Parts: sequence; structure tokens; C-alpha cells
Amino acid sequence: MIDSLLQILLNGAASGGVYALVALGYTLIFSVLGVINFAQGALFSIGGYLTFLLMGGKIGVNGALPGWGLPAGLPFWLALLLAALGSGGVSLVVERIAFAPLRRRGAEPLLSLITSLGAGVVLVNLLQILMGAEGYAFPQGTAALAQLPDALLIGGARIRTVQVLLLLISALAVAALSLWLERSRTGQAMRAVAEDPTTATLLGINSEAIVRLAFLISGMLAGLGGGLIGMSVSLAGPYFGISYGLKGLAVLVLGGLGSVPGAIAGGLLMGLAEALIPSEASGWRDALAFAVLFAVLLLRPNGLLGRRQLEKV
Amino acid sequence: MLRRGGLSSIDALTARRRGTARLAVAIAAGIAALAALGRSSDPATKTLPPAGSAHGALTLGAAIALTGNANLYGQDQRMGINLAQRWLSATPHPRPVRLQLEDGASDEPSAIAAFNLLIRRGVVALIGPTLSQQAFAADPIAQRQGVPVVAPSNTAKGIPQIGLFISRVSAQSSVIAPLSLDEALRREPGIRRVAVFFAQDDAYSTAETAIFQRALAERGLKPLSVQRTQLADNDFQNPITAALQQRPELVVISAQAVDGGNLIRQLRELGYRGQIVVGNGLNTPNIYPICQRWCDGVLIAQAYSPDLDTPINTTFRRLFREANGNRTPGQISAQAWSAYQVLFEAIQRLQRRGGLEGVTLGEARRRLMQELLAGRYDTPLGPIHFRPDGEVVQGRFYVAEVSMNANGRDGRFSLVREIQVATDSSPEAAKP
Repeated sequence: MIDSLLQILLNGAASGGVYALVALGYTLIFSVLGVINFAQGALFSIGGYLTFLLMGGKIGVNGALPGWGLPAGLPFWLALLLAALGSGGVSLVVERIAFAPLRRRGAEPLLSLITSLGAGVVLVNLLQILMGAEGYAFPQGTAALAQLPDALLIGGARIRTVQVLLLLISALAVAALSLWLERSRTGQAMRAVAEDPTTATLLGINSEAIVRLAFLISGMLAGLGGGLIGMSVSLAGPYFGISYGLKGLAVLVLGGLGSVPGAIAGGLLMGLAEALIPSEASGWRDALAFAVLFAVLLLRPNGLLGRRQLEKV
Repeated sequence: MLRRGGLSSIDALTARRRGTARLAVAIAAGIAALAALGRSSDPATKTLPPAGSAHGALTLGAAIALTGNANLYGQDQRMGINLAQRWLSATPHPRPVRLQLEDGASDEPSAIAAFNLLIRRGVVALIGPTLSQQAFAADPIAQRQGVPVVAPSNTAKGIPQIGLFISRVSAQSSVIAPLSLDEALRREPGIRRVAVFFAQDDAYSTAETAIFQRALAERGLKPLSVQRTQLADNDFQNPITAALQQRPELVVISAQAVDGGNLIRQLRELGYRGQIVVGNGLNTPNIYPICQRWCDGVLIAQAYSPDLDTPINTTFRRLFREANGNRTPGQISAQAWSAYQVLFEAIQRLQRRGGLEGVTLGEARRRLMQELLAGRYDTPLGPIHFRPDGEVVQGRFYVAEVSMNANGRDGRFSLVREIQVATDSSPEAAKP
């Protein structure tokens, strides 16, 4: 019984950690601009593919340049870091194309939902043209996993080693981001812009630069998530980030729009809700996860931790 | 005033009635004109140009998944169809044939749109769509308009029964799937504990798991755990740990390439060491990079073996390897080649008998369907022909085992067993 409970907790934490990471990307942008960046899922895919290429992976036969790859591969951790930076760079381009022109004209926030959705679709299609449709997997033994067992037995519950690693990195990224937002001057400036951009500008904060920084960091978080998931379960085609993006969106709402602790709590709750589904009802997993979302929103319309403005970034 | 007013009222009424009548006549004329225009623009009513003329080539349309989740199969199909087209067009034939490829994507509306587009462009027959789920939506369109369809990869029950113009070269799973179970039980006759996984949001996988589970029951085995997954899933920690609590000795998977490949990898990583039998959705070399060394030993029943030693398969294998960096072809490409080949050969036979001269496209489509069903074909799949209802009759099937190379990134389906099946030509209602 205790073994089963522990297994459920581990399963929930493993998937919940990734959901939280994805939701954090949405949270940052929502906090600063009050809009949702629908291209986040595509940036997640880009992070995964960039990591693969930087590690020396070759483009498959259906890609634009079959067999092409970097002459030498980088170690996983360096490739992951550079891929996260690359995704952050693409996120800045998305901001410049899909958000900035509308913001300058004072357009309805709803319009940027559509432009970001369009940017996401274009990015995924470009990825498909370049990399082809096939799935890609990172080389065996990536991230020194060859020296570790495939799975760990923790108190009678079993979890894949790669997922423990993924959970640790997600937790580390989330903690670092929270600390940066709390302690650093730039983090505090971002929180000020999230509170009130006009007042923040009057106080001498360069709001535009803060917006760009939010896009850079959210893109990096998405890229990091994509690379980690690629390591854990392979890259299941250019569309693979979209499903994570959608789940992250649900977590964003569940935790409370714009709340960093909410994104973490929401991610873990969503993961746990999925893990709690008994095997006989596994077909209802997504339905139950979203039923939890529905129930929480009925009781707390602002999400788990999204009630007070102070809790925003 | 009264009189004038009365007369004026009657005049207005009459005028309004006349106006309404004129409007009705105009609308009717418009509709008639549009109908006539539509009829004259319907390519089915146009007479085929002579074979030797500049526009004498017939067009075969292929609507396959080049985007979306099923595009892995679609890309393999495109390779097969393109190779067949290039090879068959290299030598002169009585009636030239052109290929028009359209993206049917991975969902039903896109498949319907691609079928409609190709039919409007005047194709003589269609190849596709990629998924059975799409076929149930798109095939009725072709059936209503009398356009022959050859499905290269739809193996769900009931596809040819959609209509008189629908056929397939992909043998249905109920014939093939149980063969791999027999191989697993032959290797380990003591197997009693079975776990089943299937993608519940995929019509094909749902149909196939029913076949697998029926076959298990016929062999006295009841699954201890049935786990439902989804095509977009890639983290299977929950269903796997739930299934492994039942200590299965055999795992049976009905899923598609990417989700199924991930499932195999994670099963092995989480400590499962027993046999794994997979269904047709994983019948593609695209699973190798996904499950890597963990693919090793997976059993699968196939309608195609690259090891089949016939002249046509040798040609197909050689052309495929030349075009794909020495990769070994898989079943999906072989079936796509076969779909193109059977249509091409039926067209040429019909042309030789003069059956395509001076007839409308609609009539040519009807005759082509009859010819297609009457023929016998030597394809990379082996010799095949059709039942009168459009179901393929194939005599040879294979059980293969995945053997991965030492680098763990590439492998092959190694032939384990070749199985001869009695070819059934049960009499059914003849097609047009």
C-alpha cells in the first residue's frame, strides 16, 4: 500500500515537474504583458531539436538536408545550455514579430494571442521542413546516464533515472528563477513592470527591455524543457512541444495566472491528479486532470495561488 | 381617391407578384445555369483524350499524411509511391500515367479535403489515405463519385466494405496480428501473465487490440492489465508501473510508431524483461531511433519482408536503398509501391484492350475498378489479388524480430518465420 502510494507520488512529481517548467514560461510573459504566448509549445520543440543537433545529431532522410549535422558534438549539458539560449533567441524574434508591433499600436491583447499562435505554427512547420517528420532520440548514455542504472528503486517504488534527473533540473531552474526574481535588481524591476508598467517606467525602469528579458527567459525555460524531455522520452516529431504547451497552459490557469508559486503548485497538482488515475480508468486520465482544473476554478476562480497581485512576478 | 387608391393597391399587388415571379424565374435560371456549368466542369463527364495525344496521360492521385502525427508513415508512403512511379514510367507503356501527390495530413477533414481536391482535378483513381480513421471519413466521398480507391495502409476492419469502389493492398490486422502471438508462445509456452497497452484515441489501435485480445482469449490467456494510452503521450511512467505490478510475462502493444517506440523503451528502462509483441503501427524502421537498443527482440507480424527473394522485391529493395542511404525498406513503403503498381498495371491492361478509348472519365473509373479487381499482381509483398469486395488476398505473411545494430541507433526486422495462409476467394457481390 505504502509502495503504491509512493509510486503514485513519484509518478506525479516526475510529470508535474515538467508541467511546472512549461507553465513558468507562460507565467513570466503573462505577468509582464497580460497576454499568453501561444508560441511557447513551438519553442519547447525548438529547444529539443537544437539540443539534439548541438550534440552532433544528424538530420534524417525526410529533412531538408538529409544526413547533415555538426562535425563534432557537444556534451549534453553544454548543448542543453546553448539550446536554451537559442530558444530564448527565437523567443525574442517572436516578441519582435508577433507582440511588439501590436503593443506599439495599443492593440487588443486578444490579437497577440492570434499572432503568437501564428508564429508558433510557422515555427513548427519550419522545423518540420528542416528536420523532417521522423522522431529523434538522443544517443544512448546521454548525460552520463550510461554509468547509472536505467531505473532507481526508491522505497519499493520504481522511477526511471532520467526522470529523477529531469525533476532535479526542473526544481533547480524553478528555484533559481524564483531567487533571481526576489533578490536581483533586474528581477525586482520585472516584478515592478508586472505590477504597473506605467509607474515602473516613471521610476526609470526600461519597460521595453524588461519585456524582452521576459521573452528571453521564457524562451530559455521552454528550450530547457524541450531538451530535457528529448533526453527523457525522445523527440516525437516537430509537434511534440505543442501537447506540453497545452498542458502548461492548463497548469498556468490552475496555479493562478501570473503566479510563480502557483505554476509550481499547479504543475505538481496536475501531475499528481494524472498519477492518481487507477489503471482501469487510464483512458480518463486527461479528462480527470482537466476535471481537477475545473473544480479548482469553481472554488477559486483565480486559480490556486493567483488571488493577490503581490503574488505576481 | 377611393377608386384610384383601390386600383393603385391592385396594381401594386400585381406588380409585386410579377416581380416575385420574375425573381423566381431568374433564380431558377441561375440555378439551372450553375448546374449546367457544374456539370460541364465535372471532369467525370469529359471524354478521355486518346492515349497518344499530348494530354493522353491519366493522373493517379495520392492523398497521404505528409504533415501531422501520421506523417512518419506518409513519408514512407511517398518514398514507395515515387519509386514505383519512376520505375514503371521508365519504360514505355500503352497509356502514360502521371502522379499527383496531395497532403492528406493526419486528420479526417484534411483527408476529405485532399480527396475532394484530387477528384475535382480529374484523377482516374486515388491512393490513400494513410490512416484507417481517415479512410472511414474520406472514402465515402470517392465512393459517391465513383472514383476507385486503393488504400495502401488501412488495415482496420470494414475498409473495403465502405463501398464498391474501395479496395486495399494492406491485409487486415485480424489475419496478421495473431501470428506474432503464436511466435511468442512458441518461444515460451509457459506464458500465463499478459499485459496489454493500446492507444485509445486511434481507431486502428483500438481495432487491433480487440483482435489481439480475442486471439489471447482463444489461446487461453486473459490480460491481467489493460492500459489505455494516447497517441500524443510520450511519458508512460503511470501505465507502465501499474502494469508491472501484475508481473506480466508478455506485453502486447497496439500503438503508432513514436508513442509505441517510447513505450517499449520505458518498459525496458523500468525493468520489464519479458517478451514484447507489437502491432502494425510499429511496423516501420522509424521506431529504431526512438527505442534504440531497447527495441531489440520485439516481435511483430508483417505483410512484407525485405528478405523476400523475388525479382520485383529485389528491384524495390535496390531502388529504395539507392534513394535512402542504404536503408532497408519497411512494410509501409512496400505497400505504397504495391498500391501504385496495381493501379498502373490495371490501367495498362485496360488500355491494351481499348477500354480507355473514347469513354468519359467517369466510365474509365468504373472500368478501371472492374479491371483492378480482376487482375493478379506480382508485387514486393508477394503475389496478391483482390476479393470481389476489394479486400486484398495475400498468401504470405511473416513474423519478424527487431535486431538492433551495436550502435543502438539502427537495426532491421529480421525474418523469424514465413507463414503461408490459405488464400480465400469467398464469393461476394461483384463490384461494378
